[in-house]
Amino acid sequence: MSVGILTDLTRCIGCEACVSACREINNLPASKPGSQLTSTTWTAIDRKGGINIRRQCMHCLDPTCVSVCPVGALEKTEQGPVIYHEDRCMGCRYCIMACPFEVPKYEWDSVLPKVQKCIMCYDNRVRKGEQPACTSVCPAGATIFGERDELLDVAKHRIQENPGLYFDHIYGIHEAGGTSVLYLSDVPFEELGFKYMQADLAYPKLTWNVLSHIPNIVSVGGVTMFGIWWIINRRITLDKVRSGELTEEEALGAEPD
Amino acid sequence: MQKPNLSFWKVVAGMVFVGGAYATVVRFAQGLGAATNLSDQFPWGIWIGFDVLVGVGLAAGGFVIAATVHIFNLEKYKPISRPAILTAFLGYVLVVVAILFDLGRPYRIWHPLIMWNPHSVMFEVAWCVTLYTIVLALEFSPMVLERFGLKAPLRIIRSIYLPVVILGVLLSTLHQSSLGTLYVIVPDKLYGLWYSPFLPLFFFITAITAGIAMTIVESFLSARAFGKRLEKELLTGLARVIVVLLAVYFVFRVQDLFRHGQAELMFRFNQESVLFWGEIGLGVLLPMCLLYVERIRTRESGLFFSALLVVIGFIVNRLNVSITGMLHSETYFPKWTEIAVTLALVVLGFTIFGLAVKHFHVFPPEETASGKAALQDAGPPIFTRNIVLAAWAVVILGVITFGLSKNGRYKLDSMSNAIAATPLRAEPVEPELVLPEAFDYPVGEDSPGPVTFSHESHVLSQDEAACSVCHFGTFDILKDGVPDTESVTMDEMYEGGSCGKCHNDTDAFAVEECEACHQE
Repeated sequence: MSVGILTDLTRCIGCEACVSACREINNLPASKPGSQLTSTTWTAIDRKGGINIRRQCMHCLDPTCVSVCPVGALEKTEQGPVIYHEDRCMGCRYCIMACPFEVPKYEWDSVLPKVQKCIMCYDNRVRKGEQPACTSVCPAGATIFGERDELLDVAKHRIQENPGLYFDHIYGIHEAGGTSVLYLSDVPFEELGFKYMQADLAYPKLTWNVLSHIPNIVSVGGVTMFGIWWIINRRITLDKVRSGELTEEEALGAEPD
Repeated sequence: MQKPNLSFWKVVAGMVFVGGAYATVVRFAQGLGAATNLSDQFPWGIWIGFDVLVGVGLAAGGFVIAATVHIFNLEKYKPISRPAILTAFLGYVLVVVAILFDLGRPYRIWHPLIMWNPHSVMFEVAWCVTLYTIVLALEFSPMVLERFGLKAPLRIIRSIYLPVVILGVLLSTLHQSSLGTLYVIVPDKLYGLWYSPFLPLFFFITAITAGIAMTIVESFLSARAFGKRLEKELLTGLARVIVVLLAVYFVFRVQDLFRHGQAELMFRFNQESVLFWGEIGLGVLLPMCLLYVERIRTRESGLFFSALLVVIGFIVNRLNVSITGMLHSETYFPKWTEIAVTLALVVLGFTIFGLAVKHFHVFPPEETASGKAALQDAGPPIFTRNIVLAAWAVVILGVITFGLSKNGRYKLDSMSNAIAATPLRAEPVEPELVLPEAFDYPVGEDSPGPVTFSHESHVLSQDEAACSVCHFGTFDILKDGVPDTESVTMDEMYEGGSCGKCHNDTDAFAVEECEACHQE
């Protein structure tokens, strides 16, 4: 089973402990706390109308970034985190262009730039069976770590137990085909800048629908073109025989140049 | 007349190269941030939108003409196949150069050949462009081999020419369409007038059309620059094909907008719809109508102008898809260095083309005399008026059937519909605040007593748990829970530091009240 993070926006007090912890464990340079993700801020608190929204990589179940990367520099691990192999990346930035959540960021000012985003503390924590830095420091229990299925149960339970409190949707349950990072909120997610997505549409399917036809195109196309060439060429040869330019023996042996 | 004209263009070319060289230094010495206006919001600019998408598309004439001559055996088009292949070969080499500029780590451009991800459109494009550039090099090689009289390799190339051409057509079909597939994965980032699941098909049709139009334009330019005879009869034949292709494309494109419920976007008269009509009206409908009229089609000026319109319309289309139609395009306008590199690559293409014509047999030497004779007994044209009419009928019929088929609405439902039935917040939020445990400050030498800090007594209520009052600047949030208290002195607090920030007798009781904190 794969792990995930549940962030309950009704509980977040906006203290930014998660932001500091993230910076610390990933050795990111200190910078002014901003509301948006950058190449040096992998999680950030976005404050909208008194609600604190913790932004981070959604760690999609079928990630667009992983699907578009031509060199497999992004990987969806079995445990759940989507991680980055910087030694493979050639810097085409298709992941940044394609990510529906606009999460991956680039080191534009570097001569040898890398893509940067939350990797759910995969190497430092999750792979060793520990929880990520951000959830471990949350003083309000607003962002918690666990098995995705269990987190979904927790979220459903909270919605049921607090009638009228929550907006009745778990963001991430089916967005982009489902994400490892889930959100609960008391106001509609759209008002908080969460993108509305058609249920269970995993973006990689859109391009795979096209790409999966390639073997057919190659085989059918190749045979068809060779066939067209052969028929036309045969006609030309036969015309020549009819007009007396070639004898029938020559025509049989005459391979066209 | 011609001499000052020529030197004028040389001066322009020289200036463009100097600008391009400077921009190149900036790009590789300081990185993409210094050389481009790209950002996390808008990661692909004109190096992709123009240099790659337009460059690859306009080079499509190479595979179209090669297929016409070698697969369909329409030998009469042979005189224009070599310049078309040269244009394509140069185009692809320059595209690869442009990609080297655009990649963050250009020295890893070979990675997709080793590190596979078959689910990635970019992976497929990388393979196809690599292989097709090799194919074009092979198709181009006879010109070089002839020049140096290398008969043996020439014979080998000739014997494998047909499979090479077929491979070239396959690879082109795949990657010309795949450049459109690149954008199929961004349904909610690309504006509705351009997004379609059929983008690969549109990219393929428009590439063929623009590739042929580019062949016509290139023939005119060559005729002017090298005093070459113009194969007007051939070009008129190509123009007929363009009419059919443009008609198919237009009908398909508009029908697709209706099918996906995006048709009303055409008439919003915002920036996007104006660009759309610029692309469709001036780049598709106008040249289609012009070339349909025989009198215009057979006139040099009419033919050239119409082909140029097709090329321009194609460029606008690719820029609309890659730049103006994309989300956050308002944040991007190319930096001068981006434009300088692009211009330098275009001028480099023209320059190398000129050099190649000078040194290789790009144009058949005997074309002036025997070419004319061949044309005269070429027989009736393939695309007679009846055939064009028939094609139109097929298109219209096809569209009607397609239109009557099940209408799938691609547009995503609006969020507001989905949430309309759900009640909003009914009662105030009651967050469960989990505060850290109280901790003791170390006791100094002259301290009147130990101090215990309790979060509970400092947080007034759950509703007003304003952590950031203290935890910005004054006290960092501590990941390990152990406070950094060594430097806390009373003097510091009198100055407004540490606890003194609030305990100043105004916001809270003053630090002078010793017993309030120091317990006996």
